[in-house]
This record gives sequence, structure tokens and C-alpha cells, in this order.
Amino acid sequence: MNAFDLTEDQHDCLQELINVAMGQASDQLARYLDTFVYLKVPSIEQVRSEHLFDSLNHDLKATAIVSQGFFGYEGIRGEALLMYQPLDSNRLADLLGYEADELSFDEQMIDLSSILTTTFLNVFASQIDNQMSYSAPRLLSTNLTKVNEHIQQQSFNWDFALKVKISYQVTDYSFNCDMVLLIPEEAINNIKAVIDRILADF
Amino acid sequence: MLNELCGDLSNRLNTGILILDNNFKILMWNRFLEVHANKSDKQVIGKSIFTVFPELPKKWFERKLSSVLQLKNQSFCGWEQRHHLFELSHSRPITTDSDFMAQNCTFLPIEVKGEVERICILIEDVTDVCHYQTQLNKVLQELALSNRIDGLTQAFNRKHWEECLAAEFSRAQRYKQDLALVMLDLDQFKLLNDTYGHQGGDKVLIDIAEVINGLLRMGDLFGRYGGEEFAVILPNTGLTGANDVAERIRKAIASNAIEYQDKNINATVSIGVAVMDEYDTRYEDIISRADIALYKAKNSGRNQVCLAKERIIS
Amino acid sequence: MSTNVLICDDSNLARKQVLRSLPENLSTDVQLAKDGQEALDILRNQDIDILFLDLTMPVIDGLGVLQAMKDEGINLPVFVISADVQPEMQSRVLSLGAKAFLRKPIELDTLNEHLSNHGFL
Repeated sequence: MNAFDLTEDQHDCLQELINVAMGQASDQLARYLDTFVYLKVPSIEQVRSEHLFDSLNHDLKATAIVSQGFFGYEGIRGEALLMYQPLDSNRLADLLGYEADELSFDEQMIDLSSILTTTFLNVFASQIDNQMSYSAPRLLSTNLTKVNEHIQQQSFNWDFALKVKISYQVTDYSFNCDMVLLIPEEAINNIKAVIDRILADF
Repeated sequence: MLNELCGDLSNRLNTGILILDNNFKILMWNRFLEVHANKSDKQVIGKSIFTVFPELPKKWFERKLSSVLQLKNQSFCGWEQRHHLFELSHSRPITTDSDFMAQNCTFLPIEVKGEVERICILIEDVTDVCHYQTQLNKVLQELALSNRIDGLTQAFNRKHWEECLAAEFSRAQRYKQDLALVMLDLDQFKLLNDTYGHQGGDKVLIDIAEVINGLLRMGDLFGRYGGEEFAVILPNTGLTGANDVAERIRKAIASNAIEYQDKNINATVSIGVAVMDEYDTRYEDIISRADIALYKAKNSGRNQVCLAKERIIS
Repeated sequence: MSTNVLICDDSNLARKQVLRSLPENLSTDVQLAKDGQEALDILRNQDIDILFLDLTMPVIDGLGVLQAMKDEGINLPVFVISADVQPEMQSRVLSLGAKAFLRKPIELDTLNEHLSNHGFL
């Protein structure tokens, strides 16, 4: 029995928490970006660490990967990896509200990632009566070996990853982005405790 | 008392703290900034951040801060994206690459009753990190390069040069283009070493490499093939062209006096030239034929160019 | 005469939340669907008086259901319940024929107001 075995109810509750977080996040984003944001149903998968690499490899025709650490109370923390398909960088700058040459491509990726990650996680946190802090986002190499090295060098041990695949579609600027939340085992236990509290209300 | 303690602490931090209202006016700053910006409270408190720090890219900054205000999210700007935002002097005793402090800036929303009324900017001095990381990157780059370069002559080392040849060979075959190879061997190098010592020999190699390099075009690939052997790949070049290049090199080397310890050393090279033909199946084939031509040059009195025989197999 | 209610949401939790929010003085026969396809199957074959519809669902999502209902002439009041309340989403939903857009998590007062506005209370 591994730490990440969720009962059907727990899984369902987590899915709904994520759905609601996504819904609100897309609303906030839409207002900020002044465009229509369409988030497709997230798929939530549990992935064992040794399979994560393969799992990412499968999806990874990524042009860029940005990583950002997050940490909240009650030991709930992890790392968010955002993986992007090839992007038109001029339009991306436009989307973010800058002139094309005001922002380097790296900066655009980091800005956008930070916005996507923190908006989503802030809403998620508020639903579980928590609050997140974040480390600075970093642009990782798209070299798969380097990404794997990075994953293995994490300062905490994690055995399971929660892979939440969110497809952000933005009108006229459609891009696909996968968000993977890496969550260490003890944090998963803490999340389960929160979920159980919510379920108890029912 | 806790307030006083916090106030005291904020003034001892090695991080800048700047608090703005949502009209970008500065409400508060700490000693770190006072010291590094070299301005007084009077010049700063209550003034627009753009007046106090005119170096800030206004439009970019406003847009960045608007995301904090609207989304109630924190935002960052690291030294790897922009070396610094605020022109602050750094206090590093070591020589660094810039007069200004390299910064990591964090922009935090401060909510009052659900609305973001204030923004806190944390400015971290990362001049050291920037310096060391930049050095590291440079060294890594040099290391990568050195894996391809012969340390003495700065020509490509044999491994890399052969890789280049393999690639050029494929390309020439695929697009049916010309490819020529020039192999050069220093004449009587052992004698030279015995006469002038190894250092003299090295000097000769270095100078000759320089001469050869100077006569090549962009796209020609020059490598050190062996101890006293060099080789040049000439893409898109036929026999006549390759012969011209080889002859020019031979002449230049023969007429070049190499200075070494108040002496003048005269060196010459023997050269073999081969072009890719329809019977070649691997790049090694061209090397073989150029080598044979080279030996012929050696045996015919040195200091000359020999062309590999054209193969016509009926 | 009881009111036939269909609640469509991929989350069991969310379905329960809607169920618990229904006013007590409304006599109801409730059915549950976990995605748009299931919902449409029920709508095509049975008499439903109110549909509570989530937007983000697999197989066929909320917008898909509304479009299908419009195309097939299935007419009944639809109350969309979603966390995504961005203006354009709201206008899309309403232009596809939904009667109301309720924000998740549901507020009882808002729900009651909408129900009474449409003659159910």
C-alpha cells in the first residue's frame, strides 16, 4: 500500500478541487490577459518517480520547460514543471502585454509560467485553507537528459508525482502547456488529511 | 515592541525592501537601499518610483506590477533575465563584471481587506552568484571547445576533424558536390626536433598552423591529424581548386622564416591532394588516396604537391 | 407532482453539493450523470424539468451538451454551475440557451433566487 493510494472519494475530491482551482484561475487569467481562456479538463495521473521520466518523454515535444517550487503550510509543497509546445514568441509578448522586443523569449516564458502556476496554486491553496509561497521560476534546458538530472537532484525525496495535465488554450494565441506537479510523499499525506477533512463535511 | 524589532531587523537585512502604493509611490524603504542608492529619505519617500529610479524601464515595470495587483500573485525578475533593475552599487571586494549590483527581485502583493493596496519589492544582491555563474559558463564553454581543439596549434583535433570529414562526406554524396582533401606532412620534422629541441619543434608547428589557417576560406576545415601532420577539408572544391590551395600553402610555408631563439628556422611540407570520386564509399577512402599522394610527394624530393591519380575503372 | 432534476458533473463531490443545495420545499426526482454523453442520453429519453450542468467534463463537456440540446431542440431550463466565470464564457453559455450561470461553489441564496425566478418555487 503506497502513500499515494487514494480512495475513490479522495480522488474525486482532489479532482474537484483541481477543477475549481482551474476554473477560477482561467477566469482570473482571462481578465488579466483580456482574452478568452479555455482550460480543458485536466487529467490527473499518479506517476511513480521512475516512470515520470518516461511519462514526460512521451509528452515532450516541448520547446521550453519552466520549473517553480511552491510551499505552503502543513507540509504541503512541491515543484511545478510547465512544459510548452513550440510558441510564437512575438505573439506571446503581445499576449503578456509587452512590445515584441521588450522582453526576451526566456523572460516571456518565465513570466507566463509564473502567472499560470501561481494563479492556479493560489486558488487551489485557498480552497484547502492554505497559502502558497514560491521560489523564483527557472527555465530548464529542453535537453531531456538535463531535465532528468534536474528531477533526480531534487532536494527532497519524492516517490510519486501528481501529473496534472492542463491544456491552456487562449484565443488567437493557442498554445499547449502541460503542468506537472511533483509532490513528495509526506506532502501527499498532508493533502490526504485535508481531503479527508473536506469529505467529513459530507 | 515586536514592531520595533521588525523595524530594526529590516534595517539590518542584506536585502532591499521597497514598499509602493498602487500608484507606484514609495511608501517605505530600508537602510540597505538607502546605502546602496545613496539617496536620502527626503528624496525618496512619497515620490514616484520612476522619479527616484529613472533607470527603470517604465512600461515593462508597470506591466509587471499590474500582474501583481490584478492577479494578486507574486512575480520575479532574476539576474539571468535582467542583470539589474535598480542602479545600485555593489559592495563586493572582488572585481566583477559590472559597476552595478546584480539583482534578484521579488514583487509581492500586500492585501488589505481583500484588495491589493501595496506592493513590496524585495531586492536581493546576487552579484557574487552572477559573477561565479558567468565564470563557470565561460569555463564550460571553453572546455567544450577544448574537446575539439588541439591545444598547441589551435587547429581541430583529429577526432573532431574526422567527425567533420564524415559529415562533409555525407553531405557531398547526398547533394553530389565536390569534396577535396589536402594532407600535409612536415618535412624532416625529427631532424628539426633534434636540432632545435622539442620547444623549437612546437614553435614550428604553431607557426605553420597559423600560415595554413591564414590561407583558408570560411568553410574549410583545418585539423591536426598527427604529430607533424595536418589535414584540410575543402568542401565544394575540385581537383584544380584544391591543387591551387595546396600549392599556395606549400609556397607560403617554404618562404616563411620561423623565428626561434634568435635563429631562423626554415621548414617545408610535402602535400598530398585527393578529391572524392564516385567510387568512394567511405570518407576513409579519400584519406587513403591523399595519403598515397603524400608519400609520393615525400619520395619525390619533398617540398611539393602531389595529386592522387584519377580513377577510371572501366 | 415532483420536479425531475438532472445533475451533470464529473465530480461526485460536486453532484452531492448540488443535491444538498436543492431547497427542501421542492419535491424532486433526481438523476445524476457524470459526463455530457450520459446527460444527453437521459435528456433524449426522459422528461427532465431542470438540468444543472458543469462545464468541465470529459467525453462531452458543458458547452457540448448545450450545443447538442440546441441542435436537437431539447428545450428545458439549464443552470450552468462552474468555477470558470469569465465574461466570455458566461456569454457563450447564455447564448447557447442556458438560463443562468452559477458560480462554484454554490451559494444557497443564489440558487434559490434563480429557481424562484424560473417558476420552480
